[in-house]
Amino acid sequence: MDFILTGFRMAIELLLHGDAETYSAIFATVRVSSYSMTVSLLTGIPLGFVLGYFRFPGRKQVRVVVDTLLSLPTVFIGLVVYAFLSQRGPLGEWGLLFTLPGIAIGQTILALPVVMALSASAVENMDRQLRVTLISLGVNRRQLLLSSLWEVRHGVLAAALTAYGRVMTEVGISMMVGGNIKWHTRTMTTAIALETNKGLFAMGVALGLVLLAIAFAVNLSVSFLRKRV
Amino acid sequence: MTVKDAVYQINDVLHRYAVEPVLRVKSLAIPQAAIVGLIGPNGSGKSTLLRLLGFVEKPSRGEILFKGRPAVPFSKAVRFQVTLLSQEPYLMRRSVLKNIAYGLELRGSRDNLRSRVAEALSWLGLPDEVFADRQWSELSGGEAQRVALAARLVLKPEVLLLDEPTASVDAVSAERIKAAALKARNEWGTTLLIASHDWQWLYEVCDEVLQLFNGQLVGPGRMNIVLGPWQARPDGHWQKVLSGGQKIVTTAPPAADAAAVVDSGKIAVVDACDAGRKRKNILKGTISKLVLEKGSRNTVATLLVDGMSFAIMVPSQRIESLNLYPGREIEIYFNPNSVKWIHQGDKKHFKKPGL
Repeated sequence: MDFILTGFRMAIELLLHGDAETYSAIFATVRVSSYSMTVSLLTGIPLGFVLGYFRFPGRKQVRVVVDTLLSLPTVFIGLVVYAFLSQRGPLGEWGLLFTLPGIAIGQTILALPVVMALSASAVENMDRQLRVTLISLGVNRRQLLLSSLWEVRHGVLAAALTAYGRVMTEVGISMMVGGNIKWHTRTMTTAIALETNKGLFAMGVALGLVLLAIAFAVNLSVSFLRKRV
Repeated sequence: MTVKDAVYQINDVLHRYAVEPVLRVKSLAIPQAAIVGLIGPNGSGKSTLLRLLGFVEKPSRGEILFKGRPAVPFSKAVRFQVTLLSQEPYLMRRSVLKNIAYGLELRGSRDNLRSRVAEALSWLGLPDEVFADRQWSELSGGEAQRVALAARLVLKPEVLLLDEPTASVDAVSAERIKAAALKARNEWGTTLLIASHDWQWLYEVCDEVLQLFNGQLVGPGRMNIVLGPWQARPDGHWQKVLSGGQKIVTTAPPAADAAAVVDSGKIAVVDACDAGRKRKNILKGTISKLVLEKGSRNTVATLLVDGMSFAIMVPSQRIESLNLYPGREIEIYFNPNSVKWIHQGDKKHFKKPGL
Protein backbone atom coordinates (compact mmCIF):
# COMPACT_ATOMS: atom_id res chain seq x y z
CA MET A 1 0.00 0.00 0.00
CA ASP A 2 2.86 2.31 0.85
CA PHE A 3 4.29 2.28 -2.64
CA ILE A 4 0.95 3.48 -4.05
CA LEU A 5 0.75 6.38 -1.59
CA THR A 6 4.38 7.21 -2.26
CA GLY A 7 3.59 7.11 -5.97
CA PHE A 8 0.79 9.66 -5.49
CA ARG A 9 3.02 11.95 -3.39
CA MET A 10 5.83 11.82 -5.91
CA ALA A 11 3.39 12.36 -8.77
CA ILE A 12 2.22 15.65 -7.22
CA GLU A 13 5.87 16.68 -6.79
CA LEU A 14 6.66 15.86 -10.44
CA LEU A 15 3.74 17.96 -11.63
CA LEU A 16 4.36 20.87 -9.28
CA HIS A 17 8.08 21.01 -10.02
CA GLY A 18 7.51 20.91 -13.78
CA ASP A 19 9.37 17.64 -14.41
CA ALA A 20 10.54 17.89 -18.03
CA GLU A 21 10.00 14.24 -18.94
CA THR A 22 6.48 14.20 -17.54
CA TYR A 23 5.52 17.41 -19.33
CA SER A 24 7.08 16.18 -22.58
CA ALA A 25 4.64 13.24 -22.55
CA ILE A 26 1.73 15.56 -21.71
CA PHE A 27 2.53 17.96 -24.57
CA ALA A 28 3.06 15.10 -27.02
CA THR A 29 -0.37 13.70 -26.11
CA VAL A 30 -2.12 17.06 -26.42
CA ARG A 31 -0.44 17.75 -29.77
CA VAL A 32 -1.18 14.39 -31.33
CA SER A 33 -4.77 14.27 -30.08
CA SER A 34 -5.35 17.79 -31.39
CA TYR A 35 -4.18 16.75 -34.85
CA SER A 36 -6.31 13.62 -34.95
CA MET A 37 -9.44 15.25 -33.48
CA THR A 38 -9.26 18.21 -35.87
CA VAL A 39 -9.12 15.93 -38.89
CA SER A 40 -11.74 13.48 -37.63
CA LEU A 41 -14.22 16.24 -36.68
CA LEU A 42 -13.75 18.16 -39.91
CA THR A 43 -14.38 15.06 -42.01
CA GLY A 44 -16.49 12.94 -39.64
CA ILE A 45 -19.27 15.44 -38.89
CA PRO A 46 -20.14 16.17 -42.55
CA LEU A 47 -19.84 12.49 -43.47
CA GLY A 48 -21.96 11.46 -40.48
CA PHE A 49 -24.57 14.06 -41.40
CA VAL A 50 -24.73 12.79 -44.98
CA LEU A 51 -25.00 9.21 -43.71
CA GLY A 52 -27.79 10.05 -41.30
CA TYR A 53 -29.74 12.58 -43.36
CA PHE A 54 -29.79 11.36 -46.93
CA ARG A 55 -31.16 8.15 -48.36
CA PHE A 56 -28.89 6.80 -51.08
CA PRO A 57 -28.15 3.37 -52.54
CA GLY A 58 -25.71 1.45 -50.37
CA ARG A 59 -26.39 3.63 -47.31
CA LYS A 60 -27.23 0.68 -45.07
CA GLN A 61 -24.07 -1.15 -46.12
CA VAL A 62 -21.93 1.93 -45.42
CA ARG A 63 -23.62 2.23 -42.02
CA VAL A 64 -22.80 -1.39 -41.17
CA VAL A 65 -19.13 -0.84 -42.11
CA VAL A 66 -18.89 2.38 -40.04
CA ASP A 67 -20.58 0.72 -37.06
CA THR A 68 -18.21 -2.23 -37.32
CA LEU A 69 -15.22 0.13 -37.33
CA LEU A 70 -16.40 1.44 -33.96
CA SER A 71 -14.91 -1.60 -32.32
CA LEU A 72 -11.66 -1.60 -34.27
CA PRO A 73 -8.85 -2.71 -31.88
CA THR A 74 -6.18 -0.06 -31.47
CA VAL A 75 -3.37 -2.59 -31.88
CA PHE A 76 -4.82 -3.63 -35.23
CA ILE A 77 -4.95 0.02 -36.38
CA GLY A 78 -1.37 0.36 -35.09
CA LEU A 79 -0.34 -2.70 -37.07
CA VAL A 80 -1.93 -1.50 -40.33
CA VAL A 81 -0.58 2.05 -40.02
CA TYR A 82 2.85 0.66 -39.11
CA ALA A 83 2.76 -1.55 -42.20
CA PHE A 84 1.86 1.40 -44.43
CA LEU A 85 4.39 3.82 -42.91
CA SER A 86 7.32 1.44 -42.50
CA GLN A 87 10.22 1.65 -44.97
CA ARG A 88 8.84 -1.31 -46.92
CA GLY A 89 5.27 0.04 -46.86
CA PRO A 90 3.55 2.04 -49.62
CA LEU A 91 3.84 5.28 -47.63
CA GLY A 92 7.31 4.58 -46.25
CA GLU A 93 8.93 7.46 -48.13
CA TRP A 94 6.79 9.95 -46.22
CA GLY A 95 8.99 9.26 -43.20
CA LEU A 96 6.12 9.36 -40.73
CA LEU A 97 6.90 6.20 -38.76
CA PHE A 98 7.87 6.99 -35.15
CA THR A 99 6.59 10.56 -35.45
CA LEU A 100 3.64 12.35 -33.85
CA PRO A 101 1.88 12.89 -37.24
CA GLY A 102 2.21 9.12 -37.77
CA ILE A 103 0.41 8.48 -34.47
CA ALA A 104 -2.17 11.11 -35.45
CA ILE A 105 -2.97 9.18 -38.64
CA GLY A 106 -3.69 6.07 -36.59
CA GLN A 107 -5.76 7.99 -34.04
CA THR A 108 -7.76 9.62 -36.85
CA ILE A 109 -8.62 6.14 -38.14
CA LEU A 110 -9.72 5.33 -34.58
CA ALA A 111 -11.80 8.49 -34.03
CA LEU A 112 -13.37 8.95 -37.46
CA PRO A 113 -15.87 6.05 -37.25
CA VAL A 114 -16.89 7.19 -33.76
CA VAL A 115 -17.60 10.74 -34.93
CA MET A 116 -19.34 9.51 -38.08
CA ALA A 117 -21.50 6.83 -36.47
CA LEU A 118 -22.62 8.91 -33.49
CA SER A 119 -23.26 12.02 -35.63
CA ALA A 120 -25.28 9.88 -38.06
CA SER A 121 -27.31 8.46 -35.16
CA ALA A 122 -27.98 11.96 -33.83
CA VAL A 123 -29.18 13.05 -37.27
CA GLU A 124 -31.29 9.91 -37.74
CA ASN A 125 -33.01 10.55 -34.41
CA MET A 126 -33.78 14.11 -35.41
CA ASP A 127 -37.49 14.92 -35.24
CA ARG A 128 -39.13 14.45 -38.66
CA GLN A 129 -41.04 17.65 -38.16
CA LEU A 130 -37.84 19.70 -38.14
CA ARG A 131 -37.55 19.50 -41.92
CA VAL A 132 -41.19 20.48 -42.42
CA THR A 133 -40.80 23.34 -39.95
CA LEU A 134 -37.66 24.72 -41.53
CA ILE A 135 -39.02 24.56 -45.07
CA SER A 136 -42.30 26.13 -44.04
CA LEU A 137 -40.42 28.98 -42.36
CA GLY A 138 -38.63 29.72 -45.64
CA VAL A 139 -35.17 28.14 -45.61
CA ASN A 140 -33.23 27.43 -48.78
CA ARG A 141 -31.42 24.11 -49.22
CA ARG A 142 -28.16 25.29 -47.63
CA GLN A 143 -29.96 26.79 -44.64
CA LEU A 144 -31.94 23.57 -44.27
CA LEU A 145 -28.75 21.53 -43.88
CA LEU A 146 -27.00 24.00 -41.58
CA SER A 147 -30.03 24.54 -39.34
CA SER A 148 -30.63 20.78 -39.16
CA LEU A 149 -27.01 20.25 -38.12
CA TRP A 150 -27.32 22.98 -35.51
CA GLU A 151 -30.41 21.29 -34.08
CA VAL A 152 -28.43 18.10 -33.43
CA ARG A 153 -25.43 19.94 -32.01
CA HIS A 154 -25.69 18.23 -28.62
CA GLY A 155 -25.54 14.80 -30.26
CA VAL A 156 -22.54 15.88 -32.36
CA LEU A 157 -20.86 17.25 -29.24
CA ALA A 158 -21.37 13.88 -27.54
CA ALA A 159 -19.85 12.19 -30.59
CA ALA A 160 -16.79 14.44 -30.39
CA LEU A 161 -16.44 13.82 -26.67
CA THR A 162 -16.61 10.04 -27.08
CA ALA A 163 -14.04 10.13 -29.88
CA TYR A 164 -11.76 12.33 -27.78
CA GLY A 165 -12.00 9.86 -24.93
CA ARG A 166 -10.89 7.01 -27.19
CA VAL A 167 -8.02 9.02 -28.68
CA MET A 168 -6.71 10.20 -25.31
CA THR A 169 -6.74 6.78 -23.73
CA GLU A 170 -5.46 4.54 -26.53
CA VAL A 171 -2.08 2.82 -26.12
CA GLY A 172 -1.80 0.42 -29.08
CA ILE A 173 -1.43 2.98 -31.87
CA SER A 174 0.92 5.27 -29.94
CA MET A 175 3.09 2.35 -28.94
CA MET A 176 3.30 0.66 -32.36
CA VAL A 177 3.38 3.68 -34.67
CA GLY A 178 5.10 6.12 -32.29
CA GLY A 179 7.57 3.67 -30.77
CA ASN A 180 7.38 5.30 -27.32
CA ILE A 181 10.55 7.35 -27.94
CA LYS A 182 11.50 9.48 -24.95
CA TRP A 183 11.24 13.29 -25.52
CA HIS A 184 9.82 12.59 -28.96
CA THR A 185 6.82 10.28 -29.35
CA ARG A 186 6.23 9.20 -25.77
CA THR A 187 2.61 9.99 -24.90
CA MET A 188 0.95 9.84 -21.52
CA THR A 189 -0.54 6.37 -22.04
CA THR A 190 2.68 4.81 -23.39
CA ALA A 191 4.65 6.45 -20.57
CA ILE A 192 2.26 5.04 -17.97
CA ALA A 193 2.64 1.55 -19.49
CA LEU A 194 6.43 1.82 -19.57
CA GLU A 195 6.92 3.29 -16.10
CA THR A 196 4.58 0.72 -14.55
CA ASN A 197 6.56 -2.07 -16.23
CA LYS A 198 9.70 -0.60 -14.68
CA GLY A 199 8.02 -0.51 -11.28
CA LEU A 200 8.21 3.31 -11.20
CA PHE A 201 4.74 4.37 -10.20
CA ALA A 202 5.27 8.09 -9.64
CA MET A 203 5.36 9.26 -13.24
CA GLY A 204 2.61 6.78 -14.17
CA VAL A 205 0.34 8.10 -11.44
CA ALA A 206 1.23 11.72 -12.32
CA LEU A 207 0.28 11.18 -15.94
CA GLY A 208 -2.84 9.28 -14.90
CA LEU A 209 -3.88 12.28 -12.81
CA VAL A 210 -3.29 14.60 -15.75
CA LEU A 211 -5.41 12.34 -17.99
CA LEU A 212 -8.19 12.50 -15.43
CA ALA A 213 -7.85 16.27 -15.15
CA ILE A 214 -8.03 16.68 -18.93
CA ALA A 215 -11.11 14.43 -19.11
CA PHE A 216 -12.72 16.44 -16.32
CA ALA A 217 -11.89 19.78 -18.00
CA VAL A 218 -13.26 18.60 -21.36
CA ASN A 219 -16.48 17.32 -19.78
CA LEU A 220 -16.89 20.55 -17.84
CA SER A 221 -16.42 22.62 -21.02
CA VAL A 222 -18.90 20.49 -22.95
CA SER A 223 -21.43 20.75 -20.16
CA PHE A 224 -20.96 24.54 -20.11
CA LEU A 225 -21.30 24.70 -23.90
CA ARG A 226 -24.53 22.66 -23.79
CA LYS A 227 -26.09 25.16 -21.44
CA ARG A 228 -24.96 28.10 -23.51
CA VAL A 229 -26.03 26.94 -26.98
CA MET B 1 -62.74 31.84 -60.99
CA THR B 2 -59.82 32.00 -63.42
CA VAL B 3 -56.44 30.45 -62.78
CA LYS B 4 -55.10 33.96 -62.08
CA ASP B 5 -57.73 34.59 -59.39
CA ALA B 6 -56.81 31.37 -57.64
CA VAL B 7 -53.93 31.32 -55.22
CA TYR B 8 -53.63 27.59 -55.88
CA GLN B 9 -54.59 25.53 -58.89
CA ILE B 10 -54.03 21.80 -58.66
CA ASN B 11 -53.92 19.88 -61.90
CA ASP B 12 -54.15 16.10 -61.89
CA VAL B 13 -51.99 15.59 -58.82
CA LEU B 14 -51.12 12.12 -57.59
CA HIS B 15 -48.86 11.58 -54.63
CA ARG B 16 -47.48 8.32 -53.34
CA TYR B 17 -45.27 7.11 -50.53
CA ALA B 18 -43.27 4.07 -51.59
CA VAL B 19 -45.56 2.61 -54.27
CA GLU B 20 -48.93 3.28 -52.70
CA PRO B 21 -50.86 6.34 -53.87
CA VAL B 22 -52.05 8.39 -50.90
CA LEU B 23 -53.62 11.34 -52.67
CA ARG B 24 -55.31 11.89 -56.00
CA VAL B 25 -56.75 15.30 -56.88
CA LYS B 26 -57.91 15.83 -60.46
CA SER B 27 -58.50 19.52 -60.20
CA LEU B 28 -58.85 22.01 -57.38
CA ALA B 29 -58.69 25.78 -57.19
CA ILE B 30 -58.34 27.74 -53.96
CA PRO B 31 -59.37 31.38 -54.23
CA GLN B 32 -57.27 34.14 -52.71
CA ALA B 33 -58.07 35.22 -49.14
CA ALA B 34 -60.47 32.29 -48.73
CA ILE B 35 -60.74 30.11 -45.66
CA VAL B 36 -60.98 26.54 -46.83
CA GLY B 37 -61.49 23.62 -44.47
CA LEU B 38 -60.31 20.07 -45.02
CA ILE B 39 -62.16 17.34 -43.25
CA GLY B 40 -61.87 13.58 -43.37
CA PRO B 41 -60.92 10.56 -41.30
CA ASN B 42 -57.33 9.74 -40.33
CA GLY B 43 -55.33 8.63 -43.36
CA SER B 44 -57.67 10.40 -45.77
CA GLY B 45 -54.88 12.58 -47.19
CA LYS B 46 -55.48 15.92 -45.43
CA SER B 47 -51.94 16.26 -44.11
CA THR B 48 -50.46 15.11 -47.40
CA LEU B 49 -52.50 17.68 -49.30
CA LEU B 50 -51.34 20.41 -46.89
CA ARG B 51 -47.69 19.35 -47.25
CA LEU B 52 -48.02 19.53 -51.03
CA LEU B 53 -49.73 22.93 -50.86
CA GLY B 54 -47.05 24.06 -48.39
CA PHE B 55 -44.40 23.00 -50.95
CA VAL B 56 -42.72 20.83 -48.36
CA GLU B 57 -43.01 17.90 -50.74
CA LYS B 58 -43.31 17.67 -54.50
CA PRO B 59 -46.21 15.64 -55.89
CA SER B 60 -45.27 12.34 -57.52
CA ARG B 61 -47.27 13.41 -60.57
CA GLY B 62 -49.11 16.51 -61.73
CA GLU B 63 -48.52 20.15 -60.94
CA ILE B 64 -49.52 22.75 -58.42
CA LEU B 65 -49.75 26.32 -59.66
CA PHE B 66 -49.21 29.10 -57.14
CA LYS B 67 -50.74 32.35 -58.39
CA GLY B 68 -50.87 30.89 -61.88
CA ARG B 69 -47.27 29.66 -62.00
CA PRO B 70 -45.90 26.18 -61.37
CA ALA B 71 -44.08 26.02 -58.05
CA VAL B 72 -41.96 23.43 -56.29
CA PRO B 73 -40.29 23.20 -52.85
CA PHE B 74 -37.64 25.90 -52.25
CA SER B 75 -38.77 27.96 -55.25
CA LYS B 76 -38.48 31.70 -54.69
CA ALA B 77 -42.11 32.27 -55.59
CA VAL B 78 -43.37 30.36 -52.55
CA ARG B 79 -40.56 30.22 -49.96
CA PHE B 80 -41.55 33.40 -48.19
CA GLN B 81 -45.27 33.39 -49.07
CA VAL B 82 -46.54 30.03 -47.85
CA THR B 83 -46.17 28.62 -44.37
CA LEU B 84 -47.44 25.41 -42.81
CA LEU B 85 -48.12 24.62 -39.18
CA SER B 86 -48.02 20.86 -38.91
CA GLN B 87 -50.03 18.75 -36.51
CA GLU B 88 -47.09 18.22 -34.15
CA PRO B 89 -45.17 21.44 -34.58
CA TYR B 90 -41.45 21.39 -33.93
CA LEU B 91 -39.82 24.09 -31.88
CA MET B 92 -36.14 24.49 -32.48
CA ARG B 93 -33.76 23.97 -29.56
CA ARG B 94 -33.61 27.64 -28.68
CA SER B 95 -35.62 30.30 -26.87
CA VAL B 96 -39.15 31.32 -27.78
CA LEU B 97 -37.79 34.67 -28.98
CA LYS B 98 -35.30 33.00 -31.33
CA ASN B 99 -37.91 30.51 -32.56
CA ILE B 100 -40.31 33.26 -33.55
CA ALA B 101 -37.60 35.53 -34.95
CA TYR B 102 -36.11 32.72 -37.09
CA GLY B 103 -38.42 33.20 -40.09
CA LEU B 104 -37.98 36.98 -39.98
CA GLU B 105 -34.19 36.60 -39.94
CA LEU B 106 -34.36 34.28 -42.96
CA ARG B 107 -36.17 37.09 -44.75
CA GLY B 108 -33.53 39.59 -43.70
CA SER B 109 -36.16 41.49 -41.73
CA ARG B 110 -34.26 42.25 -38.53
CA ASP B 111 -35.76 45.61 -37.53
CA ASN B 112 -37.56 45.76 -34.18
CA LEU B 113 -37.35 41.99 -33.81
CA ARG B 114 -38.14 42.01 -30.12
CA SER B 115 -41.25 44.17 -30.43
CA ARG B 116 -42.56 42.18 -33.41
CA VAL B 117 -42.06 38.93 -31.53
CA ALA B 118 -43.84 40.46 -28.52
CA GLU B 119 -46.75 41.48 -30.74
CA ALA B 120 -47.01 37.99 -32.28
CA LEU B 121 -46.98 36.43 -28.83
CA SER B 122 -49.74 38.78 -27.69
CA TRP B 123 -51.98 37.59 -30.56
CA LEU B 124 -51.81 34.15 -29.01
CA GLY B 125 -52.33 35.39 -25.46
CA LEU B 126 -48.72 34.77 -24.39
CA PRO B 127 -47.16 37.69 -22.48
CA ASP B 128 -43.79 38.60 -23.96
CA GLU B 129 -42.15 39.26 -20.61
CA VAL B 130 -43.07 35.75 -19.43
CA PHE B 131 -42.44 33.71 -22.57
CA ALA B 132 -39.92 35.40 -24.89
CA ASP B 133 -36.84 34.22 -23.01
CA ARG B 134 -38.12 30.78 -22.12
CA GLN B 135 -36.41 27.81 -23.69
CA TRP B 136 -38.36 25.51 -26.00
CA SER B 137 -38.23 22.78 -23.35
CA GLU B 138 -39.94 24.98 -20.77
CA LEU B 139 -43.29 25.13 -22.57
CA SER B 140 -46.42 23.04 -22.19
CA GLY B 141 -47.96 21.38 -25.27
CA GLY B 142 -50.54 24.15 -25.73
CA GLU B 143 -47.94 26.89 -25.25
CA ALA B 144 -45.60 25.23 -27.75
CA GLN B 145 -48.45 25.04 -30.29
CA ARG B 146 -49.21 28.73 -29.77
CA VAL B 147 -45.53 29.70 -30.06
CA ALA B 148 -45.29 27.70 -33.29
CA LEU B 149 -48.31 29.55 -34.67
CA ALA B 150 -46.84 32.89 -33.53
CA ALA B 151 -43.68 32.01 -35.51
CA ARG B 152 -45.88 31.74 -38.62
CA LEU B 153 -48.16 34.70 -37.97
CA VAL B 154 -45.23 37.08 -37.38
CA LEU B 155 -44.34 36.49 -41.05
CA LYS B 156 -47.78 37.81 -42.14
CA PRO B 157 -47.90 35.08 -44.79
CA GLU B 158 -49.97 35.10 -47.96
CA VAL B 159 -51.00 31.52 -47.28
CA LEU B 160 -51.26 29.86 -43.88
CA LEU B 161 -51.82 26.10 -43.80
CA LEU B 162 -52.92 24.66 -40.47
CA ASP B 163 -52.92 20.92 -39.86
CA GLU B 164 -55.12 20.02 -36.91
CA PRO B 165 -54.14 23.19 -35.05
CA THR B 166 -56.35 22.48 -32.05
CA ALA B 167 -56.12 18.69 -31.90
CA SER B 168 -53.94 18.33 -28.83
CA VAL B 169 -54.49 21.52 -26.87
CA ASP B 170 -56.90 22.59 -24.14
CA ALA B 171 -60.00 24.67 -24.76
CA VAL B 172 -58.31 27.99 -23.89
CA SER B 173 -55.38 27.38 -26.25
CA ALA B 174 -57.78 26.19 -28.95
CA GLU B 175 -59.80 29.42 -28.75
CA ARG B 176 -56.63 31.55 -28.91
CA ILE B 177 -55.37 29.61 -31.92
CA LYS B 178 -58.70 29.93 -33.73
CA ALA B 179 -58.91 33.67 -33.08
CA ALA B 180 -55.31 34.29 -34.17
CA ALA B 181 -55.72 32.27 -37.36
CA LEU B 182 -58.81 34.26 -38.32
CA LYS B 183 -56.98 37.49 -37.58
CA ALA B 184 -54.52 36.62 -40.37
CA ARG B 185 -57.31 36.48 -42.93
CA ASN B 186 -59.18 39.50 -41.64
CA GLU B 187 -56.17 41.82 -41.26
CA TRP B 188 -53.73 40.74 -43.98
CA GLY B 189 -55.96 38.89 -46.43
CA THR B 190 -54.14 35.63 -45.77
CA THR B 191 -55.55 32.56 -47.49
CA LEU B 192 -56.18 29.89 -44.87
CA LEU B 193 -56.42 26.15 -45.35
CA ILE B 194 -57.33 24.31 -42.19
CA ALA B 195 -57.42 20.55 -41.72
CA SER B 196 -59.40 19.61 -38.65
CA HIS B 197 -61.69 17.04 -37.12
CA ASP B 198 -63.52 19.91 -35.45
CA TRP B 199 -66.08 20.19 -38.21
CA GLN B 200 -68.30 22.44 -36.12
CA TRP B 201 -65.54 25.06 -36.08
CA LEU B 202 -64.77 24.51 -39.76
CA TYR B 203 -68.38 25.05 -40.77
CA GLU B 204 -68.50 28.18 -38.64
CA VAL B 205 -65.39 29.83 -40.10
CA CYS B 206 -64.73 28.37 -43.53
CA ASP B 207 -65.98 29.72 -46.82
CA GLU B 208 -65.83 26.18 -48.14
CA VAL B 209 -65.19 22.79 -46.59
CA LEU B 210 -63.60 20.06 -48.70
CA GLN B 211 -64.03 16.49 -47.63
CA LEU B 212 -61.36 13.91 -48.24
CA PHE B 213 -61.66 10.17 -48.07
CA ASN B 214 -59.10 7.58 -49.10
CA GLY B 215 -56.94 10.26 -50.68
CA GLN B 216 -59.72 11.63 -52.86
CA LEU B 217 -61.87 14.72 -52.64
CA VAL B 218 -65.49 13.79 -52.09
CA GLY B 219 -66.75 17.31 -51.53
CA PRO B 220 -67.31 20.18 -51.73
CA GLY B 221 -70.06 20.10 -49.20
CA ARG B 222 -70.68 17.88 -46.29
CA MET B 223 -70.68 14.24 -47.37
CA ASN B 224 -71.58 11.21 -45.34
CA ILE B 225 -69.34 8.24 -45.89
CA VAL B 226 -70.70 4.79 -45.17
CA LEU B 227 -68.13 2.02 -45.20
CA GLY B 228 -68.94 -1.47 -46.44
CA PRO B 229 -69.32 -4.40 -46.46
CA TRP B 230 -72.50 -4.36 -48.57
CA GLN B 231 -74.87 -7.26 -49.04
CA ALA B 232 -76.98 -7.98 -52.13
CA ARG B 233 -80.78 -7.91 -51.67
CA PRO B 234 -83.33 -9.96 -53.59
CA ASP B 235 -84.84 -6.77 -55.09
CA GLY B 236 -81.56 -5.93 -56.90
CA HIS B 237 -80.49 -3.28 -54.39
CA TRP B 238 -77.68 -3.66 -51.87
CA GLN B 239 -77.76 -2.94 -48.18
CA LYS B 240 -75.72 -2.41 -45.08
CA VAL B 241 -77.25 -3.50 -41.80
CA LEU B 242 -76.39 -1.15 -38.95
CA SER B 243 -75.66 -2.34 -35.43
CA GLY B 244 -79.22 -1.55 -34.31
CA GLY B 245 -80.80 -3.45 -37.21
CA GLN B 246 -81.67 -0.48 -39.44
CA LYS B 247 -80.75 -0.88 -43.12
CA ILE B 248 -79.10 1.53 -45.54
CA VAL B 249 -80.19 0.64 -49.07
CA THR B 250 -78.12 1.56 -52.11
CA THR B 251 -77.57 0.76 -55.75
CA ALA B 252 -75.02 -1.92 -56.62
CA PRO B 253 -71.55 -0.93 -55.31
CA PRO B 254 -68.44 -1.40 -57.47
CA ALA B 255 -67.17 -3.84 -54.81
CA ALA B 256 -68.66 -5.27 -51.64
CA ASP B 257 -66.17 -3.26 -49.54
CA ALA B 258 -66.65 0.05 -51.39
CA ALA B 259 -67.53 3.20 -49.44
CA ALA B 260 -70.82 4.93 -50.15
CA VAL B 261 -70.89 8.72 -50.31
CA VAL B 262 -74.21 10.35 -49.44
CA ASP B 263 -74.49 14.10 -49.94
CA SER B 264 -75.89 15.75 -46.82
CA GLY B 265 -77.99 17.97 -49.10
CA LYS B 266 -79.74 14.93 -50.52
CA ILE B 267 -80.96 13.62 -47.22
CA ALA B 268 -84.39 14.86 -46.20
CA VAL B 269 -86.21 14.89 -42.90
CA VAL B 270 -89.46 12.92 -42.88
CA ASP B 271 -92.23 15.43 -42.09
CA ALA B 272 -96.04 15.46 -41.93
CA CYS B 273 -96.32 15.68 -45.76
CA ASP B 274 -94.53 12.34 -46.06
CA ALA B 275 -97.12 10.52 -43.99
CA GLY B 276 -98.35 7.42 -45.81
CA ARG B 277 -95.64 7.53 -48.52
CA LYS B 278 -93.56 4.42 -48.95
CA ARG B 279 -89.87 5.26 -49.05
CA LYS B 280 -86.69 3.25 -49.00
CA ASN B 281 -83.92 4.21 -46.64
CA ILE B 282 -85.94 5.64 -43.82
CA LEU B 283 -83.57 5.84 -40.89
CA LYS B 284 -84.47 6.78 -37.35
CA GLY B 285 -81.99 8.70 -35.21
CA THR B 286 -81.44 11.39 -32.61
CA ILE B 287 -80.23 14.90 -33.37
CA SER B 288 -76.93 15.54 -31.57
CA LYS B 289 -75.95 18.96 -32.97
CA LEU B 290 -77.22 21.85 -35.05
CA VAL B 291 -74.57 24.09 -36.60
CA LEU B 292 -75.20 27.11 -38.79
CA GLU B 293 -73.16 26.88 -42.00
CA LYS B 294 -71.33 30.11 -42.74
CA GLY B 295 -72.86 32.14 -45.58
CA SER B 296 -75.19 29.45 -46.93
CA ARG B 297 -78.41 29.95 -44.92
CA ASN B 298 -78.25 26.27 -44.17
CA THR B 299 -77.91 24.46 -40.90
CA VAL B 300 -76.03 21.20 -40.58
CA ALA B 301 -77.89 18.79 -38.33
CA THR B 302 -75.94 15.84 -37.01
CA LEU B 303 -78.00 12.74 -36.43
CA LEU B 304 -76.90 9.61 -34.58
CA VAL B 305 -78.34 6.55 -36.30
CA ASP B 306 -77.45 3.29 -34.55
CA GLY B 307 -74.13 4.81 -33.45
CA MET B 308 -73.35 6.16 -36.91
CA SER B 309 -73.20 9.91 -37.43
CA PHE B 310 -75.13 11.42 -40.35
CA ALA B 311 -75.01 15.06 -41.38
CA ILE B 312 -78.10 16.54 -42.97
CA MET B 313 -78.24 19.94 -44.62
CA VAL B 314 -81.46 21.71 -43.68
CA PRO B 315 -82.44 25.22 -44.83
CA SER B 316 -82.21 27.33 -41.68
CA GLN B 317 -85.77 28.68 -42.05
CA ARG B 318 -87.11 25.11 -41.86
CA ILE B 319 -85.46 24.32 -38.53
CA GLU B 320 -88.38 25.83 -36.65
CA SER B 321 -91.16 24.34 -38.82
CA LEU B 322 -89.57 20.89 -38.59
CA ASN B 323 -89.15 21.43 -34.86
CA LEU B 324 -85.52 20.27 -34.93
CA TYR B 325 -83.49 20.49 -31.78
CA PRO B 326 -80.71 18.42 -30.19
CA GLY B 327 -82.07 15.37 -28.42
CA ARG B 328 -85.12 15.03 -30.65
CA GLU B 329 -85.68 11.72 -32.43
CA ILE B 330 -86.51 12.13 -36.12
CA GLU B 331 -86.63 10.09 -39.33
CA ILE B 332 -84.64 10.83 -42.45
CA TYR B 333 -84.53 9.33 -45.91
CA PHE B 334 -82.52 9.51 -49.11
CA ASN B 335 -82.80 8.07 -52.60
CA PRO B 336 -80.58 4.98 -53.10
CA ASN B 337 -79.76 6.29 -56.58
CA SER B 338 -78.16 9.43 -55.13
CA VAL B 339 -75.34 7.40 -53.59
CA LYS B 340 -71.87 7.78 -55.10
CA TRP B 341 -69.08 5.30 -54.56
CA ILE B 342 -65.43 5.31 -53.61
CA HIS B 343 -63.63 2.11 -54.22
CA GLN B 344 -61.83 0.91 -51.13
CA GLY B 345 -58.94 -0.72 -53.02
CA ASP B 346 -56.53 2.08 -52.15
CA LYS B 347 -57.15 2.01 -48.43
CA LYS B 348 -53.86 0.76 -47.03
CA HIS B 349 -51.39 1.71 -44.36
CA PHE B 350 -49.11 4.20 -45.96
CA LYS B 351 -45.48 4.74 -45.09
CA LYS B 352 -44.50 8.24 -44.05
CA PRO B 353 -41.79 9.98 -46.03
CA GLY B 354 -38.17 9.88 -44.92
CA LEU B 355 -36.25 12.96 -43.93
